[in-house]
This record gives sequence, structure tokens and C-alpha cells, in this order.
Amino acid sequence: MSESTTPAGLLIDRVSKDLAGRTIVDDMQLEVRAGELTCLLGPSGCGKTTTLRMVGGFLQPDAGAILIDGVDVSRLAPEKRPTAMVFQNYALWPHMSVFKNVSFGLRLRRLPRREIRDRVEQVLELVGLTHHMNSFPAQISGGEQQRVALARALVLEPKVLLLDEPLSNLDAKLRVRVREDIREIQQRVGITTVFVTHDQDEALSISDRIAVMSGGRVEQYADPTTLYREPATHFVASFVGAMNFYTGTVADGAVEIAGGVRVPCEGARRNGGAPVEIGVRPEDVMVSTAGDGAEAHVLREIPRGHYKELVMQLGEAEVRAFVGPEVSTSERQRVRFARAVVYAEGVLRPSTEPAPLR
Amino acid sequence: MVLPPVAVVAVFIGFPVGAAIAYTLGKTGGPNSTIALIAQRQHVAKHGVTFAAYREVLGNAHVRGDLWATVWVTLLTIAAVVVLSWAIGLYVRLSDTWIARTVSALSVIPLFIPVVIASYAILTFYAAQGFIKTLAYHVGWHSFPTLGYTMWAVVIGEVWVNVPFGVLMMSSGLNSVPNALIEAARDSGASLPQTIRAVLLPMNVIPTVIVATFTGIYVLGSFTVPYLTGPSAPNLMGVSMSQFFQSFNQPQQAEVMAMIVFVLAAGLGTIYVWANMRAAKRASQTS
Repeated sequence: MSESTTPAGLLIDRVSKDLAGRTIVDDMQLEVRAGELTCLLGPSGCGKTTTLRMVGGFLQPDAGAILIDGVDVSRLAPEKRPTAMVFQNYALWPHMSVFKNVSFGLRLRRLPRREIRDRVEQVLELVGLTHHMNSFPAQISGGEQQRVALARALVLEPKVLLLDEPLSNLDAKLRVRVREDIREIQQRVGITTVFVTHDQDEALSISDRIAVMSGGRVEQYADPTTLYREPATHFVASFVGAMNFYTGTVADGAVEIAGGVRVPCEGARRNGGAPVEIGVRPEDVMVSTAGDGAEAHVLREIPRGHYKELVMQLGEAEVRAFVGPEVSTSERQRVRFARAVVYAEGVLRPSTEPAPLR
Repeated sequence: MVLPPVAVVAVFIGFPVGAAIAYTLGKTGGPNSTIALIAQRQHVAKHGVTFAAYREVLGNAHVRGDLWATVWVTLLTIAAVVVLSWAIGLYVRLSDTWIARTVSALSVIPLFIPVVIASYAILTFYAAQGFIKTLAYHVGWHSFPTLGYTMWAVVIGEVWVNVPFGVLMMSSGLNSVPNALIEAARDSGASLPQTIRAVLLPMNVIPTVIVATFTGIYVLGSFTVPYLTGPSAPNLMGVSMSQFFQSFNQPQQAEVMAMIVFVLAAGLGTIYVWANMRAAKRASQTS
């Protein structure tokens, strides 16, 4: 069957939602392929959790439709949908043991006792928690509680798994481990998954695709590499990763920024002299003590472990660069840009297309 | 540090209780000598103690009728208050409408109305010449029962007085259950009744036990509501005690009745303590 005729695992079709007189989700369009892990990434209030809650059935869309495997589920109650949610604070029932938490949905479906036990054991084995089957939620760690919540969702074999900032209550180290566990389990089970987070690092490391949201709309929906290397809008560029922004003009082989500073830039093509927004990732800022780069003064040097961050004055602007810890720095540096992205009116201008003259 | 409160409790509660218990067992001397001088039908222990006063009171068919009425009204009131508190608490917890908020506000109003006023209000509503009966008469229902001065009026009055406390307790308990726990149950496939049974009910056992036991203890010791709205006989033990003490001048018998009510209340108190200890034990096991 061709890809065009296969229904999407999840289709959010022109969905809108107002809450308390404010538009939270605005004509949103998103397609998640079957078996894919998509992250909804954005700042607080961008509508990502509202979107997830609409998919889960906890909110009804004001307009548009939500389709799972081609079936419209927009008006179904949560208990009737083929979805399962992992909540931000785990939402484990404190008066039930791990076994009872995980088996709750199966018991509601009146499955034979033997089958319930087998399925719970299987899913607890999947998340590595069979030894905690009889423990209560308060007797296990935060990471283990999160895995129980994941097991409770997976045991129902939903078509779509929804995760609402599931790692935000964990400490930094545990967060990295659990997110890798989640990704591994998701890939093993092959379940269509929507993962809400405001943590770009989390999104970049586990997603097949990321939808960056702002003001209730999807700014860009792309794979992590594309999203990082070619952010479609100024918002995405500033939200995902660090970026130096300058207003200036692009010439052949260089960019000219405020104060008339001309910085050599590989691949730059003249844009007709119109002022544009120029974005440069810190790792694309090349620093050396000699050469034809623009002169910059080092203001601060911030150790970041396996690399260091230099904050430099470049004419009237400031530039941040990530360099290896072994790179020796002096007060005066020469700066070049290995790569830059150009935005006209907040939208990425393809490198092959010159910006319009104003 | 602990001595002053212990001393206050010992002097103002412990000593009178001890003297009253001794009096019911026939000890008429010491702190009981003054009341013993004027009391009638006293049973005096010549050596040790005597249970004659208990035998007399429990052998009295009228008192047994009062005791039975007290137990009956208490159990019925507990059941009604628990059911109503749960119903209102659940409605307010699960419904975010102005009606729910209004119901929530109205349900606690009786807290601020003195019991004596409420009792007369109940009478004027349910008595033979009361509002309900008059209304029923006007619509042609001449056989509508008169509830005033019956045990039903007592139950209605006791429920009226105790429901606000019940609603406050249940609302507080139900509101402490995070939305996510309810949504997680719905997400797992539970209908609303299944969610209530599996999540809200077990997580609100303690507030329910508090409402039931406190209501029971209140009804066992109540006087104003049964005195004003209830029948002459049988009536609740509180009214009966008052009659034996004041009208019949039989304080020993009244104190025996108080001891019987105390034993019933202690039974309810034991359930409350047991539920709290169970909750504390579970909390210590899970933390």
C-alpha cells in the first residue's frame, strides 16, 4: 500500500480550541505517521498540552477533527478512545499496588484473571519493574513511578500513546535515562506516540519529528536535524538551540552587521542589499587568533564541560561561540561564520533565493 | 510543659466523670453526697459497688424504647448525612457550573443558623398546621402525613444540622484528589461511576468515617432538635435524661443513661480511631 493511501496514525485536522475567551489552539494541522514519535515542543501557553488533551478526549475541539487510523474520534469520551496518556505527575493511584495500577484498565475490560496477570507481567518486564509488582507508588522512586505510568498506558495496547511532559518532575540525570528508556520502548512496541515537552534537548534527542508550536499554531514540523539546521521561522530559530541574531546585509562570501562590521561567511550570496535577519549558531562561529576574520574582543569565557562558550564583542553586537576546551583564547580574536541562515520578515529565506529588494 | 493541660483535663473532666461513674455504681458519698441528699430512688452500695441502678434503668420499658429510638435515629441520620454529603460533594467536585457552586454555598448555610431556630423552622414546615401539610391539603392530598412531633421530624432536623459539616468534610476530601487521578481512570476506560468507585471512594474513606462518627456522636447527645420537634415518647436519650434529671429528680438514673450513651458514642469513637490508625499505618508503609 502506498504511503498516500495509508491513513495517518494520528491526524489533527484544522483543530481550534478557545478557553476562557482566549484562542489556545488555532487551526492546527498535524499528521503523525503510524509508529512515529512526534514531539510537541513550545513555550508555556503555546497550546501543546491543550492539543494533547484534545487528542486524549479530555477537551473537545471547537472546530476541526481528530482522526486515529482514519477514524474520527473527535466526539468520543476518553474511555472510548484508542489512546492512553502518561501524565506529568504520573497520576498513579496511591491506594493501589503497582500490579493493581497497571491491571486497572484490563480489569475494567473483564479479561480472564490469567490473561490479566500475563499481560501485566509482560509490560512490567518491558519497563523493568517486575520486582516492584506488589509495591505501592510511594514506595518506589520517581523514575520507577514514571515507568509504571508508562506500563499502565502500554498494557491497554492503545493505538496512540500520549505523554504530557512526563519527565518534568525528574532530576536532570534521571530525565536523560528515562527518556532513552521511553524511546527504546516506543521503538520496540512501534506505537504512534505524541510527546509534549518544553525541553528542546529532550525533543531533539528522542523524536522522529518535532512540531514547534507558538500561539496555538505549528511554526515548523520537521525532523530534528532539519529543525535545528534550517529553522523555518525566527521563532523556531530562537527557541530551538542557541542562535546569534543580527540585522544586516548579505554579500557574496560575507555578512555585514551593525557598525559596518564585515564577517566572512562561507556560502553567503548577495541578497540585493536589503537588510535581513541573519542567524548564526554558536558552533558555526569560527574563532582564531589570526586570519581574515572580523576582529572581536572576548568579554567572557564560560566553561561548559566538554566545550567552552566565548562571549565576544563584535563591533556593536555581541557574538557567542562554542569552541573546544583545548582552543586557547586571547583577548582579541578573529571571527568567521561557517554557516548562517537568513530571515526576511521572520521567515527563512532559502539560500538559493535572493531576498527581494525593498 | 504537659502538666498544666493534663491538670486542667483531670480537674474539669476526669474528676466529674469519675464521680459520676462512681455515683451510677451506688457511691453516694464524697463528691456525690450533696446530690445524694436530694435525689429520689437512689441505689446505694453498702459494700463495694452495685449495678442496681443499671438494672432498674435497663429494665424500664420506656427507657429501652428511648434507647431503641436513639439508635434508630442515629443510624438513619448517619446514613442520610453520608449519602447527602457524598452526593453534594461529588456534584460540586465533578461539575464546574454556577449551579454546583450555588449548591455548595447553600449547603453550608445551616452551619450559621442556631439549632433552636432551625428546629422551630422545621416544625412550622412539617407540623400538622405547617407549610407542607397545608400545601398538600390545598392540592387535594388530605391524607398527607404529619411529620411534626414524630421521629421523622427528628431525623430531618438532625440531618439538617449535620449536613453542612458533612459537605465541608467530603468536599475537602474530594477536592484533595488531583484531577489527573480521575482523568487517568477515565483514560484507562472507566466510566464515571467506575471512577468514583475505584478512585474517589477509597481515597475518601477517612473523611467518610469522620462524617459518620461525628454525626453519630452528635445525634446520640443531641437535645434541642428531638426536644422541640420529636414526640413525647419515645424520644431520644438526651431528652429522656433531662426528664429523669429535672422532672423526676432521679439524677442517678439520668447518669446511668448518660453512661449508656457514652458507651455507644465510645463505640463510634473507636471506629474513628481505628480508621485513623489504619490510614497512618498505610501512610508509614508507603513512605
